[in-house]
Amino acid sequence: MPESFLVIDDSKLLHQMYRLIFSQGDLAGSTVHYALDGREGYGLLAAHPDLTLVLLDLNMPGMNGLEVLARREAERLHPHVPIALVTTESSEDDEARGRAVGAWDYLRKPFQPSDIQRLVRGAREQRRSRGAA
Amino acid sequence: MKPGENPFGDLLQDYIVECLPLAEQVGDAFVELERRWRDGEPGEDLLASVKGRLHTIKGNSGMMGLTPARDVAHALEDACGFLGRAPESRGEGAAALLVAGGGLLVDLIGTASPDADGGPASDFVERVRKYLGLAPGAAAESDRRQGERRSRPRAGDGGAASNVVRIDFRRLDALLEVLGEGLIQHSALVDVYRRLMRRMGACEELGELDQAVLSLQKTLTRLESTLMETRLLPVSTVFGRFPRMVRDVAHAEGKKVRLEVTGGDTSLDKAVLDRLSEPLLHLLSNAVAHGLELPEDRVKAGKPPEGLLRLQAAAVSGRVAIRVSDDGRGLDEAAIRAKAEALGMDTRAADTAQLHGLVFVAGLSTADRVTTLSGRGMGLDVAADVIHALGGTIEVESRPGKGTAFTLSLPVTLAIVRSLIVEVDRERFAVPLSHVAETVRAEPEAIRQINNQGVTQWRGDLIHVADAGAVLGTREPSGAQRPFYVVMTAGAKRRGLLVDRLIGHQDIVVKGLDPALGRPAVVSGTTILGDGQVACILDVVRILDGAAHAN
Repeated sequence: MPESFLVIDDSKLLHQMYRLIFSQGDLAGSTVHYALDGREGYGLLAAHPDLTLVLLDLNMPGMNGLEVLARREAERLHPHVPIALVTTESSEDDEARGRAVGAWDYLRKPFQPSDIQRLVRGAREQRRSRGAA
Repeated sequence: MKPGENPFGDLLQDYIVECLPLAEQVGDAFVELERRWRDGEPGEDLLASVKGRLHTIKGNSGMMGLTPARDVAHALEDACGFLGRAPESRGEGAAALLVAGGGLLVDLIGTASPDADGGPASDFVERVRKYLGLAPGAAAESDRRQGERRSRPRAGDGGAASNVVRIDFRRLDALLEVLGEGLIQHSALVDVYRRLMRRMGACEELGELDQAVLSLQKTLTRLESTLMETRLLPVSTVFGRFPRMVRDVAHAEGKKVRLEVTGGDTSLDKAVLDRLSEPLLHLLSNAVAHGLELPEDRVKAGKPPEGLLRLQAAAVSGRVAIRVSDDGRGLDEAAIRAKAEALGMDTRAADTAQLHGLVFVAGLSTADRVTTLSGRGMGLDVAADVIHALGGTIEVESRPGKGTAFTLSLPVTLAIVRSLIVEVDRERFAVPLSHVAETVRAEPEAIRQINNQGVTQWRGDLIHVADAGAVLGTREPSGAQRPFYVVMTAGAKRRGLLVDRLIGHQDIVVKGLDPALGRPAVVSGTTILGDGQVACILDVVRILDGAAHAN
């Protein structure tokens, strides 16, 4: 079964960038779901328990990234799905708050395709070790 | 940074599409903040509203490797953060800083290029740093980190999945040239078909040729409309710079102004838009400088101290209407009359509309005092000339004490003009169909001579009819009357033009005039016809204007 990912970001430009990244190398052919806000993203997360990785933007109007994480934590929704919080020059503070509500890793803008590839490798690693356990 | 260095370089257009409106909203919010702070209002909601937008701009600009825009957004974010925490610092100085930064951000994003000069951006960042009292070098550190990130080698770059591509506009112009050649060849085919038809009469093969020529025409028309669409841009791409400019002029003039912009999504050909910017800039600054009163005078006149300036765009029956209106003092008819008379014009019989129309006449348009808008001293006459050269019209309405409105009507595109081709003294001329009301066979007895001018009844009105030879200078008017006249219109003006032959309708591709030849008063450009002949395109607006002045 092909891998699937979820991108939650209010910027369509960022969606285009992710499309570019997910069309290259061994990521080509994977399924990527896109949400433009936290609420929509949370719905997609609920609908797809098999996601390899979620890329979640921190700053979004309405429900922001931290709120998505907090709700996921509170509702124990697919706790095995790794969620990387994507920030723009975030403070250590933001990162600490993210970790407190279950962010699996961080990605700072500006990022490169290789940064996503690295995160995906980490997520696959975790998935394998969980499968083995 | 070279375009190839950023993995997302192909998304530059998507970046502009997303971030330019955000930057414009930020810029508008800053202009509004300045007004509110002057009136002693806190403007918390506006400060909060720009935060998310600046953050998005910062993040996206960073992703695109557009460091100047990223740094300016970052600096503005810092400044807004500080002003959010320190209400006592809000005031004129802070607002001026924000407005300057907002304008810079719009410029940087609108002209986004990886090779852009970072000078203005770093100057601004330095200004903010000084304003915030930060030690220089704090941001330099993060710049260095950025540099290291960027220099890392990457794999798998390229392979765009975007639906948007960037095209040099000159290539679209080149495509248009090719289309123009296609149109010329098509009309050559039509010409041959007609001659064959005359010689041989109807037959099956000619019927098929007719069909083939017709479908070629349909294809060319589709190609034309598709190509035209690619050339269209929303007028907001030009309007975006106006709030800041209006604010600057208001500042310099000691006026209070609120600018309302509507219809920014109306589309125009880029070639039209490019040339429209200056005249609009002039109309707006003119409205602020001369139309709107000083706050104290407005209060005396029973108006709110803040003047209202409206910029409205809308698509109206195949053209674009743009209206610049103010609620100021209106045109000063006595002053216009006095100036016109000083120039030797007789204005005794002029009605209000004619008097208002004189503001577009050279020598009458400029206000008495020297304008403070350095380098923007284009007169209303020049603004009107530019609009006419675009095949547009401009009209003014004004009511004393209530305000002035300039209404522009513009063609959506410049490049291809449906025209009526006429022949005058064996030369061909193109009259844009948008200015042709009717073509009429000129019965000799229907045209009477009054004061050495031909006059005829047309749709219940009396209109002047002039000999094309005299107007176009192909020869002196002679006694013999030409057999047809074309009723030309521009705005409310109408006039008949007597010609020798009506050749037919044709799509013509407009070519500019050779600048070395200067600009003859009655011609707006040239085109090449189906038989390879060059034809001049009549500048109907000028011809009608010239007639009005001569009267």
